[in-house]
Amino acid sequence: MSLRRRTLLTGALGAAAAGLLTGCGGKDLDDLLTRAAAVPRGPARLTWWVSEIPSRRGGIVADLIIKAFERRHPRISVSKINALSTSDGNRSAIATQLAGGSPQPDVYLGDTTWPAQFGDSSLALPVERLLPDGFWDAYPAALRTGSTHGGQVYAVPFFTDSAYLFYRKDLLAKHGLRLPRSWEELLHTSRTVQRAGDVEAGFLWQAAVTESLTANVTEFLADAGAAVLDGRGRAALGGAAAERAFSLMAEFTGSGVTPGTVATYEESDSQDAFTGGRGLFLRNWSYAWVNASAPGVSHVAGRIGAVPRPGFEGTGRSGVSCAGGWSNFVNPSSQALGAAMEFARFCAGEEVQRLLAREAGVVPAMTSVLTGPEARAAGDPTVLRAADLRLVARPVTPYYPQVSKALYTPANAVVRGDLSPADGVREAREGLRTALEGKAL
Amino acid sequence: MSSALPTRTSKTPAEGGDGRARTGAPPPGSARPGSVARRRARAGWFFASPALLVVAAVTVFPVLFSLVLSFCEVRLDYGGLRLGSPTLGHYEALLTHPEWYRALAFTLGFTVVSVFAELVLGTLVALVLERLGAARGWILALLLLPWALINVIAAQLWSYLFNGTYGAVGWLCEQLFGTQPDILGEPVPAMAAMVVVDVWKTTPFVAIVVLAGLMLIPGDVYEAAEIDGAGPWTTFWKVTLPQLRPIVAIAVLFRILQAFGIFDLPFVLTQGGPGTATQSVAILGYRILFQNLDFGGGAAVAVTTAVIVMGCCLLFLRVFRAHVDEEGRA
Repeated sequence: MSLRRRTLLTGALGAAAAGLLTGCGGKDLDDLLTRAAAVPRGPARLTWWVSEIPSRRGGIVADLIIKAFERRHPRISVSKINALSTSDGNRSAIATQLAGGSPQPDVYLGDTTWPAQFGDSSLALPVERLLPDGFWDAYPAALRTGSTHGGQVYAVPFFTDSAYLFYRKDLLAKHGLRLPRSWEELLHTSRTVQRAGDVEAGFLWQAAVTESLTANVTEFLADAGAAVLDGRGRAALGGAAAERAFSLMAEFTGSGVTPGTVATYEESDSQDAFTGGRGLFLRNWSYAWVNASAPGVSHVAGRIGAVPRPGFEGTGRSGVSCAGGWSNFVNPSSQALGAAMEFARFCAGEEVQRLLAREAGVVPAMTSVLTGPEARAAGDPTVLRAADLRLVARPVTPYYPQVSKALYTPANAVVRGDLSPADGVREAREGLRTALEGKAL
Repeated sequence: MSSALPTRTSKTPAEGGDGRARTGAPPPGSARPGSVARRRARAGWFFASPALLVVAAVTVFPVLFSLVLSFCEVRLDYGGLRLGSPTLGHYEALLTHPEWYRALAFTLGFTVVSVFAELVLGTLVALVLERLGAARGWILALLLLPWALINVIAAQLWSYLFNGTYGAVGWLCEQLFGTQPDILGEPVPAMAAMVVVDVWKTTPFVAIVVLAGLMLIPGDVYEAAEIDGAGPWTTFWKVTLPQLRPIVAIAVLFRILQAFGIFDLPFVLTQGGPGTATQSVAILGYRILFQNLDFGGGAAVAVTTAVIVMGCCLLFLRVFRAHVDEEGRA
């Protein structure tokens, strides 16, 4: 019997080893790109990993896009795989599937912060060679910067999310106050309206220990003129400008303009508070407009406006917006690379971009569509003003999750008052260095 | 007093699978007993093989794969994972990083506090339930509701209650004490909130297990204690509790295993924050593996966690068994 046990154990180990080896086959990149360059003439099937795209008119936006594609390419059928809408949850699910060498999904919708990490991990096909000349002229420069790592582009634009300052028009009018042009003025305006008892919170934003806070920190730093990384990708955080940004975050909570609970807020929490009538100002992504304007959902529908974020006094600049949003990536293990690439290009093209402007509560990536007839008809200020925004890309590095954590962990402590702004900046800088060396957990 | 713990039955090499003495020569009158035993064993393996294959596929393979990943350089390449040279680097990176110790400290603290609270409360609830008559079934069903809820849903419900803007707990505190605490935004209240939710959810499980143990205690033991003049307090400590020890050990073991792997509560309630105050080892492993895409590092977290949990359980069992054996001799 002991011999049999040994045989069984050997068999199990053999099976395990075989299983390991099957996941280890490398593929030639040139061969993949050649396959991706040819659109199939015969029938092909595609799967598209896509999270819910906010809808403006109740239609299922992904289905409308698939129908439009299938009309243009009758021999290619596309089926949808519903993905999570949170960036982190979505990444976890798709990354494990792709790392296992799964040929599905052929195309997947991913956050604009993913390209460097996914490109570096060979989870996305480099697509620069597969895009027509002058392709990027039609899209914001920050989108190309965020999609590029090591000279290669790993994502094809789809739609963007931009940060805006949402405000209560009725309350500003009641108190005869103008829209704040600087953060300092926003603090003053908020206190005035709060003191009158018209609103609980002056300014709502996101400071939970998630990517949401990293986007906010990146914007405040850019507003103050501070950089996270230098041109060579090294940690550059520091100096008076960075401390000014961190001090502002501390002042929001310290002065009571922002409630302390903001340290647990993600986008949906702050949006709920604002649409519930608890806040005067809200920093959120463009998609919040649709929800905040819907009478059945929002208590403040019809009484709100959206403008670009303010800047710091004395800098002479308006505020910036993080270049957020979602792009399409092509799975290198796809069995239908040509069709997959064609679908990604189609989603970036004018037909789908116009469809997004008409049907979806997001900002189309194509700049010319932002002022087109569909966008004007929708009348969404977050779309119509998107071309005027100054966009800032978040750090582009294959260690992005660690870099993000290095920013949001000390920033959260500063917001809670557990760390001084100067110490927060110092801790963030140290964390960034460790992260960029690949030593952070 | 005899221990109800299952005792290990050891067989000498001279004993067969059925425990009977094996001799060099077949008993008179029997035809080739060795071949019969072999045939039986073969049939046994044959019938068990589908189950064994399933167990190997869902348990043995992932465990082996995690071990291999944790001791190898792992690269992602076009087509999937690529294993490189053997290394101890993942363990070195982990064991020299303060964040791992912080996560371990939180997980250990959470495990000790929540399991202890659940044990005490669960035992009290079980003692009450044992004395109930017809209502016991209904109350049991009600008690089991939290246990039956899916963890993530329970955590989400509690996150609404703890929410700093519209949460009922904050509102209640404001009505009672005039101030609204930021429950999930501060380290200590966030940890306490997590323990409260876990205790709320898991105490019914402990209560049910302990109740089963209580019902197994023979009535004559209590009668003997009464005749000896033992009061309720003495009876509980000297009769009930010692009799419950084996079943309590099982409940505690289950709870340690579950509590040490805590993931859903911090993931839903705090995302491991504020800062990294409620980041458990499971959350840390998730971040390393699924967010950083560091498969070797993530596997190292899983392996170290498994080793620590196994160590804790073995230590607990050893201490427990020694204690019971001592009592048995006494």
